Amino acid sequence: MTTLTAAPYARDHLPTLDRCDTVAEVATRQQGTTATASPDYLRLESLAKRFGETQVFSQIDAEIAKGEFVTLLGPSGCGKSTLLRAIAGLNTLDEGRIMVGGEEITSLPPQQRGVGMVFQHYALFPNMRVTDNVAFGLRMQKVPQEERGRRVDEVLRLVELREHADKFPHQLSGGQCQRVALARALVVEPRILLMDEPLSALDARIRRHLRQQLRDIQKTLGLTTLFVTHDQEEALMMSDRIFLMHDGRILQQGDAEALYTRPRSHQAAGFMGHYNVLSGEQAHALLGTVSRAARVALRPEAIYLQPVSEASPGGEVPTHAGPGCRGVIRRRQLLGNIVRYAVECAGIELSVDALNRGSRHLLAEESEVLVFVDLDEVQELEE
Amino acid sequence: MSQNADLTLSRPKAPALPTLRLPRPSIHALVVGGVFTLLALPLVATLGYALATSWGATLLPDGLTLKWFLELWSTPRFQLAFARSMLVTLGALVLSLVLVVPVAFLAHTRYPRLDAWMNGLVLVPFAVPPVVSSVGLLQLYAGGPLPLVGSPWILIFTYVTIALPFVYRAVANSLRTIDVRSLMDAAQLLGATPFRAFFLVILPNIRIGVQVAVFLSFSFLVGEFVFANMLVGTRFETLQVYLNNMRGASGHFTSALVITLFLFTLLLTWLGNRQSGHAIAKDANA
Amino acid sequence: MKRLLPAWLWLMPFALVFVAFQMAPLGWIAVSAFQVEGSWGLGHFQEIATSPFFRQAIWRSLEISLVSSLLGLIIAVLACHSLTRTSGPLRRWMIAFTNMTSNFAGVPLAFAFIILMGANGVLTLALQRVGLIDDFSLYSRTGLIVIYTWFQIPLGMLLLFPAFAGLRADWRDAASLLGAGRVAYWCHIGLPVLRPALAGTFTILIANAMGAYATVYALVNTSYNLMTIRIANLVSGDLFLQPNLASALALILVGLLAMVTLIQQWLLRRSHHVAER
Repeated sequence: MTTLTAAPYARDHLPTLDRCDTVAEVATRQQGTTATASPDYLRLESLAKRFGETQVFSQIDAEIAKGEFVTLLGPSGCGKSTLLRAIAGLNTLDEGRIMVGGEEITSLPPQQRGVGMVFQHYALFPNMRVTDNVAFGLRMQKVPQEERGRRVDEVLRLVELREHADKFPHQLSGGQCQRVALARALVVEPRILLMDEPLSALDARIRRHLRQQLRDIQKTLGLTTLFVTHDQEEALMMSDRIFLMHDGRILQQGDAEALYTRPRSHQAAGFMGHYNVLSGEQAHALLGTVSRAARVALRPEAIYLQPVSEASPGGEVPTHAGPGCRGVIRRRQLLGNIVRYAVECAGIELSVDALNRGSRHLLAEESEVLVFVDLDEVQELEE
Repeated sequence: MSQNADLTLSRPKAPALPTLRLPRPSIHALVVGGVFTLLALPLVATLGYALATSWGATLLPDGLTLKWFLELWSTPRFQLAFARSMLVTLGALVLSLVLVVPVAFLAHTRYPRLDAWMNGLVLVPFAVPPVVSSVGLLQLYAGGPLPLVGSPWILIFTYVTIALPFVYRAVANSLRTIDVRSLMDAAQLLGATPFRAFFLVILPNIRIGVQVAVFLSFSFLVGEFVFANMLVGTRFETLQVYLNNMRGASGHFTSALVITLFLFTLLLTWLGNRQSGHAIAKDANA
Repeated sequence: MKRLLPAWLWLMPFALVFVAFQMAPLGWIAVSAFQVEGSWGLGHFQEIATSPFFRQAIWRSLEISLVSSLLGLIIAVLACHSLTRTSGPLRRWMIAFTNMTSNFAGVPLAFAFIILMGANGVLTLALQRVGLIDDFSLYSRTGLIVIYTWFQIPLGMLLLFPAFAGLRADWRDAASLLGAGRVAYWCHIGLPVLRPALAGTFTILIANAMGAYATVYALVNTSYNLMTIRIANLVSGDLFLQPNLASALALILVGLLAMVTLIQQWLLRRSHHVAER
């Protein structure tokens, strides 16, 4: 269904994570709806962009279905925002073409693309009240006054801001501002909605709430949406499909489950969750198996710890786990419902997540443990 | 462009966007260049005149020389005027610091409402044209108990008031960035008297802000003419008054004087900006 | 811990100097303007109002200020807009240069213009040769407008540039995606957002021009009739000193400046409230 470009790729640093909580939880909670309408409503064909000497992105190919919510996920500087702006027509492209509903828009000015956009810092016009901000697009289209009023009212109801209609942007909170910005983009009924880190400027509580609201509205309207974020939890929770971007390329794409549980490269593994990435020899030392792959990835929650004192593997350890390997707990971090251990085992430091089931079950630092790995969850990486 | 905007579906791979870009100066560079030329013209012409052996009815000077500058710098009347300007300006700045720093300090520690008041007061010297003030000053201090007109003292005091906006704002801003109250509290808990705490802790911390204010108001005060001419005039001839009185002299000579004055203020502004650059760098690190 | 002196005493030296050399002169003007030969009266204002000479001074001051402020503002707006579109180093350099030229005022400026555009000035000769001008005089109304405009430009640019730099690229992007072209953007967003800065700058430029004295004085001595020239001449001229009349004229000047400021405030209050972001 999608042209994928996960070109082999060699760089040794792992992108840092912006957020690192309860990813497992999110992954199990996420909704996996997939739209069935025309599979290539928005088509990106080998897009490329340079700024002077630097290649911002290249070989970007994608087909996005009508009504689909697709997220471009990647660390800052990976080119995802520039790509989004190029689709909006705010940046030029060096190569490639963009089709919407079979119509090429590659060189149309932004005014004629029928694309709506929500910006990270809202970009509300400070001189206009909420209503005038929202009505702006309709005014530009010369929509008659009454119809304008009706549509603005409708969309403000949708984003639950009717009572703030007469306020100026500076009188609103960040979350309200972003909802106005959303209403402003929606009211002109764009063919595609682009969102550039729309939640990053908000505080955590508002962000979680707005995330849900955004997704609900998008589903109600069946809006084809391209969402840019560096926050993997956000991406996992909201998207039908995720494109993982790194250094201007699409590394991997798929739904949240696939991307989270089956990373194909060490960059993907490094960006999703808290993966332990091991070299071939390390994997051999730890698991006793011989892997064809140069590297393997291990999710921290697919590793189980058991105090040495306990005689047999507890009920929690899956039957198809390896033989178990002696290790020492070096550090312990309490992350709320999760306890994260740093365990040294076969000369490797592993990150292990366990459910926090009360203080009786906590393992002490410097205590000896047996380490079991769920072999089904060992992910072989492409390089 | 229009070719790419074509809506046909069946066409195979469209050609890449035209990438040909001619290196032509943008309209914006032209506007900036134009305004620059406009602003630079009087300065360049004066500099040319100051360096020209003679410049008659021709577009370019006949030859270049430094003799006008050397002649100017060796003129005793110029040297004296320079010394008088320095005396008045430095006097005014020292006095204004002595007067304003305690006020700004108290406004940020003891009387918070004073700061609002001061911010209003410092606008008065800005808003009232010097000509207007000098009408009153001339009448008040021409005779009577304080016959200051004609002496450098009236200039020093008046300059204190017109330097006030610069000095107060700079000192107040520096104080705002360092959280005076906590510093004073900390110093006093460690056993310092308020007086010692002020000198040992607060003053060193606002030094840079104060220096910036001093350099900027220095160049402003050296360029002051109206008060100098109306209140004192030739009785205590400062640089600006001297320049005005040299109107009959050779144009090359006065040009050398104009350029000298300009370079001098430039040096002061540069020193001031360099200081504020340091201050900004310091803030960024903090 | 003993205090040497009550804290408020430290405010006194400053208060003394400020009152003596800033407030008292203003107070004296306010009083003496209404003193006619030892008694209260509006005689000086009547004299000014009925004298064609003084009325001409007021009119010319207003005219030169308005025209030069408007020209200066337009040029500064264009320059600032272009500056936001040029590269960083060039922009920083130009702002430093503008700062530099804003210090170039008063007598030195007048002398520089005499050399550039005086009867035998370089530019005058050049333009005459090309045939662009035939009888330009720096000492005329046009000449004064040129020199006033020159010193308004850097001031206008320094005051306006922060506002232009505050126009966010986001707004333009958002507007263009909502269908607004360049003109619509400026009409609906750019200019309305800049309006307070433009109004404020215009007011300051007018005040700057109305109060200007040194440049004109150095250029034409007392031969061009302006308010500041008249005021100064009434208190420090060679003959017939009339300090009370000078006070009245000075009070009118201050009143005009206050009026300009009030009009600006009023316009500002009527315009939309703009967030300070």
